[in-house]
Amino acid sequence: MKKVNDKNISRRNFLKIGGASTVGIATLGMLGTGFEGVSAAKAKRYLDEKSKTVYTACAMCPSECSLSVNVNDGVISTIYGNDFSPYNSGTACAKGASGLQMAYNVNRIKYPMIRVGERGEGKFKRVSWEEATNFITDKLIKIKKEHGPESVIMNAGDVTDRDPYWYLFRAFGTPHTVEHGAICDTPRRHGPKLMFGGKRIEPDVMRPVLVRQPDGSLKNDYSYKNRLIIYAGWNPFTATRINYESRGTVEAKLNGAKIVVIDPAFSNTATKADKWLPIRPGTDPDLFAAMLRYILENNKDDDTFYQYIDWSFLKISNGWPEFFEEFKSFWNKKDPINGLNYFSIEWAAKRTGLEAKDITELSHMFGSTKPASLVWGMNGIGHHYNGYIASILGTALNVITGNMDVRGGAIDTELVKSDKGGKVKGDDFNKREVTKIINGIEVTGEQEKLHMDLYGKWPAGWDDVVGDYPDRFLNGVKLNYGPFKGHEYPIKAFLIRTGNPVITGSNTSTWTEALTAKEGNDYKVDLVVYIDTPFLETGLYADVILPEASYLERMSLADIYPSHQLIYLRDAVIDKLYESKTHYEIMMALAKKLYEKGDTDIKPKDFWELFPTEESFWDEALKKSPGRAHAGKPLPYPNLPVNYKLYGTPESLENGNVSIDHKKKEVVGKYLTVQWLRDHHGVAIWPMSWNRMQDGGVLKTDTKKIEFIWDFEINKDGKLQRKGCYSKANKLIEESNITPPSIQKLGWNKYPSTFYWFETNWNSFTNPNYEKYKDEYPFQLVNGRIHHAMSGTQMIDWLGRISAEDLWVPLNDKMVVDEMIIGENGPMPTNRKIHLDKHTWSIAVIQMNYSDGKNLGLETGDLIEMTNPLGGSTRGKVNLVQTIRPGVLRIPFGGGGRFSPGMGLTYAFKDITPDANSLVDPNNHSPIMGQPAYIDVLVKIKKV
Amino acid sequence: MKKDNKKPERREFLKKASKVSLATIASALLPMSVMGLANEEEISISTSEPIDKSGSVDELKNRMREDIKRAMKKPIDERRWGMVIDLRKCVGCNGCTIACITENKLPPGMAYRPVLTETHGTYPNVSRRFIPRPCLQCDNPPCTEVCPVNATWKRKDGIITIDYDQCIGCRYCITACPYSARSFDSGFFYNDFAGGEKQPYEKLPSPEYNENRVREEGSSPIGNVRKCTFCLHRVEKGELPACVLTCMGRATYFGDLNDSKSLVSELAGNPNVMRLKEELGTSPKVFYLT
Repeated sequence: MKKVNDKNISRRNFLKIGGASTVGIATLGMLGTGFEGVSAAKAKRYLDEKSKTVYTACAMCPSECSLSVNVNDGVISTIYGNDFSPYNSGTACAKGASGLQMAYNVNRIKYPMIRVGERGEGKFKRVSWEEATNFITDKLIKIKKEHGPESVIMNAGDVTDRDPYWYLFRAFGTPHTVEHGAICDTPRRHGPKLMFGGKRIEPDVMRPVLVRQPDGSLKNDYSYKNRLIIYAGWNPFTATRINYESRGTVEAKLNGAKIVVIDPAFSNTATKADKWLPIRPGTDPDLFAAMLRYILENNKDDDTFYQYIDWSFLKISNGWPEFFEEFKSFWNKKDPINGLNYFSIEWAAKRTGLEAKDITELSHMFGSTKPASLVWGMNGIGHHYNGYIASILGTALNVITGNMDVRGGAIDTELVKSDKGGKVKGDDFNKREVTKIINGIEVTGEQEKLHMDLYGKWPAGWDDVVGDYPDRFLNGVKLNYGPFKGHEYPIKAFLIRTGNPVITGSNTSTWTEALTAKEGNDYKVDLVVYIDTPFLETGLYADVILPEASYLERMSLADIYPSHQLIYLRDAVIDKLYESKTHYEIMMALAKKLYEKGDTDIKPKDFWELFPTEESFWDEALKKSPGRAHAGKPLPYPNLPVNYKLYGTPESLENGNVSIDHKKKEVVGKYLTVQWLRDHHGVAIWPMSWNRMQDGGVLKTDTKKIEFIWDFEINKDGKLQRKGCYSKANKLIEESNITPPSIQKLGWNKYPSTFYWFETNWNSFTNPNYEKYKDEYPFQLVNGRIHHAMSGTQMIDWLGRISAEDLWVPLNDKMVVDEMIIGENGPMPTNRKIHLDKHTWSIAVIQMNYSDGKNLGLETGDLIEMTNPLGGSTRGKVNLVQTIRPGVLRIPFGGGGRFSPGMGLTYAFKDITPDANSLVDPNNHSPIMGQPAYIDVLVKIKKV
Repeated sequence: MKKDNKKPERREFLKKASKVSLATIASALLPMSVMGLANEEEISISTSEPIDKSGSVDELKNRMREDIKRAMKKPIDERRWGMVIDLRKCVGCNGCTIACITENKLPPGMAYRPVLTETHGTYPNVSRRFIPRPCLQCDNPPCTEVCPVNATWKRKDGIITIDYDQCIGCRYCITACPYSARSFDSGFFYNDFAGGEKQPYEKLPSPEYNENRVREEGSSPIGNVRKCTFCLHRVEKGELPACVLTCMGRATYFGDLNDSKSLVSELAGNPNVMRLKEELGTSPKVFYLT
């Protein structure tokens, strides 16, 4: 190993090339005295035959863009967008282009390792895969025998190609198979879930879209019809979850759309807005409620200028009168915190901190401008305790104004994206009958009903409640609902793959305490396994570490949110590096071990006999594609029946090479396969249409209508049937007579059947319970996802040298860093010194309004400490700017306090960069889904 | 001193070089044939097979590819490569910065195309714009004139190039460029900042100037001044520059300004066009739409 020795370094004079730091790129220059002339003799001609291009899907962030990766001589050379995919239309962001520095990162996990010190100490030894998988499966078998398989959690984390792990662990017998979606912005998605069975409302700005023409041909449509796009707490330019919203938003604007951004910070998205409304954090429901009230009170059906409501929504919905009555019942009530009538403009102005005239104007503009879309996001609404209400109101606003699924309006992308997965998710295993002895009585039920959250404390969740895991680790599970009511079991194994809950899963110290808690001499959670490519903080607490091949070395399918059905392949671009294995291989390795050790739930016919190759596994997943109801205008396939589910390749459906099952209402063409995708630049595209919610269409609610009520009865063939999104949970509550503690706090005994209202926590402006903190804790602290600086990618050199949105800036001091890297035995010092010049490396900072800073005698770069009323604290440097609302501080999520040596240079700044989750109230789980309220935080500050 | 469109004679070069420093003699004595960059006509030949992009969904990119193909059929002195950057569409993602780094195999800390951020106003009346800044390929480049060894000049198609074998690393041109578009390659590798061993991707040859140099200690381009070339090596194969290819806001356009049918000519003719530091008379070929 070649060393960069001190002598070498000291010979170098560092000088900054003029203006470098001012342009936001941290540039290092060297006045070399050792310049030895030039030698072109070493120049090599490069052989074209050694290069290839592979189409694949990114996984540097959940946007998962379609990529075209160029490989030279077995080495990834460049990463560009795939020109054949309309999702990103050939584009790729800084992070996507940086992917090769993830694959080749010196800090990636190279070998399996087993812990040799205490949890958290970071002491490991390299072992063989044989040893590692033996260790894991021995423990799993023991835990299963002593406590049952439900004592095991498989959290497949932050990347969406989690199916192999779900398949294995559902087969093993646990219903606790989790993904990132459980812990990110669930309140944001609640409204569409309740009302459509959907998830994510996005503007109709993905272009091109493939559209059936009047002459029968299919053509790419590049036109933008949007007239108004409102983004609330949603910053697609920086938190690039939906790639096409970058080019789509600016293009829609140039084509005549107005853009409004509602956000306490002047985000990159706000830079392109016609109007920026710097709202007070946590008051989005207040703004949306005032907009809805204004629209309802001022709508005039006979005056086109005030014809806000498109009443045709009544034909495709249920329960509007009930919703309206409940909403209206607040209008004459007075808010105890300000004495004003709920949902009035004045009330909203007082609470949101916006001008009354701006709220009126926004309401009128949204009502009268069509097509429009109201879109809200994870940065704001997704991470507040009361985000559900904003999500419900926002969904209602899009529906009643006639903007859902119209050209240029709003699209619930969850409903129209291609399906995938099917059998390989392991749903069938979850339906198996299992028997438990509870209080001496033998009880039988489906495996999924052992779920700790859905039959425990959170019956209305639709995913797991990851933020609440520390409590389960410490106190175990008691089921309150369903056949296994009264069943108690501990959590003994936690397997985490591509996730980092110690930093991102609610309060950091709550997580580390739970993972290190002991019972006698043993850890309470007997087995912690960390599977990933980078080595993040949670890895420090693992007993076993498995190196998973990076996304550029494995196969799976992209999980994306386009405007219509579209899917692409994630393909292995290069050979696996070091001793890493793909998720398919890890699944099979663990399955074989379990089988050999006598686990009868693992059957060869479900594993290696059924899926002998990685490709066969993903071919099975593709059988479900596109899997959506054939609906909308212009009808995608005029010759195929409406509202039937379609399966198969675009060409087989186009050519009518299909079989039609009228009973199941299914049209099956030629199944899509990995090879078909490879033959088509990695991408399958089915046609776009609009008005897909008419006549049921793509809606996934019980009644195939938009539902404004969530627990109701219908009369079907003389029988009363209970329907609605909350009905199942309410039935469980009624049967069991136990109210979930989270809604008990709201004074409810079950989930409301229509519109509801409650205040957010830790907000001294809107919740009377917290008014007392106003003077001592004057700042609201929010965090935003900053693309370049998310949890798992800060070890990338290129991203460390660019800045982003006042939150990730080169405010570092000149320093000499003692290098640590992830070696074969875990984190270890290399005895090398890394020299960093001042202002050359971006770090997480605290964004603060300039006038706030001046009032406190602060300058940009000063180190401050933020403390919350619970005593939690974290430190960071302030960045005084004009781009944030006074009284609000903002930091990047997962950006600071990073104490894993696997974070590269970011690790060196762990003591002067803020960890957002050290300030999150560990018990502030949002009441319905249990999402941690990451941005309901009050702090006071002091200079360090 | 004006020497655009003309590669300096070796004799003239030697004369110049001898005046400068001892270190340059070594390079001067190298036979021309191993200097990598041969004459510009050679690298202008439209190489390799046509890149099949039929089925590509981006109509603007497809159009720009056609523009390039048309231009490449003309003699080099009839082409005038230019770029249009629509600031209304730049979303500040820095994708171009990184794509360019990977394409040209740049060392740590060097960027040919940073994105500048310009913020005005006081809360709540603030505005911000992002300004990607490649080499502006000036028609009257202040950088070439100051070169003591004629290592940098304007090609017949308007691209300012650097001959790494002739460049002595004096960095006068860096000072002369009013846009900070030139950087000095100080010899850092990524292993200086992590790991101690060269990364696989930094051992790959850089396609710059079609020279396919592998960057190694003691040889060019280390010790040279470097800059954006509009990815000539891509363009002359009919492909788009890396920054145009990757742009998330679809804000960057490229083509032949001497072709009235090209997309860049059409866009550069807009009334909302501006160029950076127009008053200096450098006449950049990067046009910004505002």
